[in-house]
Amino acid sequence: MFFHIVLERNMQLHPRYFGRNLRDNLVSKLMKDVEGTCSGKHGFVVAITGIENVGKGLIRDGTGFVTFPVKYQCVVFRPFKGEILEAVVTMVNKMGFFAEAGPVQIFVSNHVKIQKDSEVRLKIIGTRVDATEIFCIGTIKDDFLGVINDPTTT
Amino acid sequence: MEKNGKGFSMPKSSLKSTPSKDDSSQKSKEGRKVQFNNGGSPEERFDYSKSNGKSSSSADKGGRGNTANVKASKSKEKEPLELRLNQELLKNAKCLMDCEAAEIIQGIQDQMTLLSQDATIKLPVSFHKGLQYSQANARYTNTHSVRRVLDTLKKHGVVEGEISVIANACPESTEEVFALVPSLKSKKSILQEPLEVALMVIKPLRKVDSTSV
Repeated sequence: MFFHIVLERNMQLHPRYFGRNLRDNLVSKLMKDVEGTCSGKHGFVVAITGIENVGKGLIRDGTGFVTFPVKYQCVVFRPFKGEILEAVVTMVNKMGFFAEAGPVQIFVSNHVKIQKDSEVRLKIIGTRVDATEIFCIGTIKDDFLGVINDPTTT
Repeated sequence: MEKNGKGFSMPKSSLKSTPSKDDSSQKSKEGRKVQFNNGGSPEERFDYSKSNGKSSSSADKGGRGNTANVKASKSKEKEPLELRLNQELLKNAKCLMDCEAAEIIQGIQDQMTLLSQDATIKLPVSFHKGLQYSQANARYTNTHSVRRVLDTLKKHGVVEGEISVIANACPESTEEVFALVPSLKSKKSILQEPLEVALMVIKPLRKVDSTSV
């Protein structure tokens, strides 16, 4: 599910970006670096909503780069075990099917005939968290779960 | 200490340090038995456990009830739903319903079209996927009302993560809620009524979807 969270990051800025637009440059660098990434702890960073605080910059010895600690608010998407999601089927194979919910891919092991682009309501039964990615396993074999919309009937 | 003190009055506050017969002080650590003999009444026995010092005459039942409660809460702690555990991981995070997330992400996209002067800022794939997913699942016409209604369940012990799951699922009945969020089953008796009321209130706020059956 989605969360609105405050994160902190140390941004390094080259002296060529200093000047009147220092803060703007810092913010755009932050957006380029962070948006679209995924961490195991916070999930996928979908969008940055605002900058809370930019700390004092520290000049790094030897390089001349300056490190700014930046606190920013962002919307993240992080799936949890036990969560109920509605996902769209993207690929079907012999073992089951892959479904997509937002930026997350979920695999469901299933033997019921299912088609690509169907909507299913599933429960996440396991998440494997990597440093940069999250993989999920789901199930539709529970109460109130299963196919919602079949593309052939609509 | 007087054994059958006529003038002995029972203190109303904690009785852990109640003076008693010499026997009781030598008794086991688990409980103390104190005997009081009032003027005209027969002997009354009060059992006190060390953990509480209730002085009511139903302390017997109260003592037993307390230990039962302690045991029950311990067993509940052993089987939390992952949603509850992970609430601690994301302590500073506010859990969003899909409809709320859709509004926020849409707002950012609108801002981006204004700021698109900088060609190097491109919105990543996960942004578009997140926007698409949240808009597809944003099923309410008024997100603030839904948030207000479901927040009333917080006083019955429902956590934010569970509230979001309930909102996103658009359940038709309380049965569905308890099936989808098993961690609420333990509080079924308390939650049944407020949940029914909440679902009745948010039902008319759902967007009418032409593709749904």
